[in-house]
Amino acid sequence: MRFSVALLLFFLSACDWNTPAESAKVSFVSLDDEARQLREEFNRSKGKVRLLFIVDPSCSACLRGLDDMNRDLLAQTRDSRLQTYVVHVPVIGAKAKHVQPAATLLPAENVRHYWNESGKVGWTLSNIFGIKNNKGAVYAWDVWLLFGADADWPSDGAPKAQVIMHQLEELEGTEFPPLDTKVFAQKVHAMLSNTKTLDAGQ
Amino acid sequence: MDDRGKVCSSAGGALGLGGLAAALGLCCSVPWAATLLGVTGAVALARLAFLLPYALVGAAALLSYSFWLAYRKPTREDGPDDRRSLRRVVWVASFVVLGFAIVALTKGVSFS
Repeated sequence: MRFSVALLLFFLSACDWNTPAESAKVSFVSLDDEARQLREEFNRSKGKVRLLFIVDPSCSACLRGLDDMNRDLLAQTRDSRLQTYVVHVPVIGAKAKHVQPAATLLPAENVRHYWNESGKVGWTLSNIFGIKNNKGAVYAWDVWLLFGADADWPSDGAPKAQVIMHQLEELEGTEFPPLDTKVFAQKVHAMLSNTKTLDAGQ
Repeated sequence: MDDRGKVCSSAGGALGLGGLAAALGLCCSVPWAATLLGVTGAVALARLAFLLPYALVGAAALLSYSFWLAYRKPTREDGPDDRRSLRRVVWVASFVVLGFAIVALTKGVSFS
C-alpha cells in the first residue's frame, strides 16, 4: 500500500502540470475529409523533405511519439529544407481543444498542424498511403511518414513515402516497421544530405 | 503488525498496483490522461507503460500473500469472525484487481 502511494506521488511529482510550452499558442488548420488542404500545402513544399505524422492528440502513446520525434529529430534539426505536417484525428475521443497542447510538443519552425473533426481523413490517408495488414486497410493514426524532396501528390494518386513507421498493434508483422525515432531521424538526415540547398526565400 | 494489518496492507498494495496497471493500459484507449494530467503527464504515463506487466505480477503476488495470511491456520488469539472478515477483504480485493487486470489487458482500439 505504502509502495503504491509512494509510486503515485512520485509519478504526480514528475508531471509538470502547467509548463510554459503548454500555454504557448499554436495555430492549426481545419482539414477536410479528403485532406485537400494538406495535399495543396504538401505540393507547395516540393523540394523539401517532408514529414507527415498522423496522431490522436489525446492519445498518450501518440504524444510520446511526438515528444520523441522532437527530442531525436526536430529539436536538433534547424533546416529550411525540412517541413513537417501533423494531422490530428479524433480516434479515442479527442476534441479540437486537445490539438493546441499536443502541438506544443513540436515547437520547431516549419511544423503545420491540421485537425479533422470527423476523423474520416484517417481512412482517406490509409487508402492513399496503402496502410494495411493482411486483413485489409487499417485506419491511419499513430503513423509516421517520410517523403523525399521530389515527392508529388497528385489529386488522383499518392506520393511515395520513403518510410512509414507506426505504433499500431494492427500493423505488427507487416512491411511497416514500428516507430523508432532515432532510425527515423537518421533517414531524415540522410535524405537531407542528398537534398540540394534551397534558394533564399523558398 | 498483526494479520489484519498485513492483509489490509498487501490487499491495498495489490489494489494500488492493479489500479496503476489499469491506468497504464487505458492511457491509449481513452483520452483521460491528456485531460487530467496534461500533455506532459500523458507523455510521462506513456513512458511508464512498460511497467504494466510488472504491476500485474506484483498485484498477483500481493494477493497471493493476502490469501495465504487469511487462510493459514488461525492463531490462538484469533476468533472465527476475524478470519472471516479478513477473507472477505481479500476476496473483494481480488475481484477488484481482476477487474483492473481485464481493463488493462483489453485496452486495444481497433479501426481495421
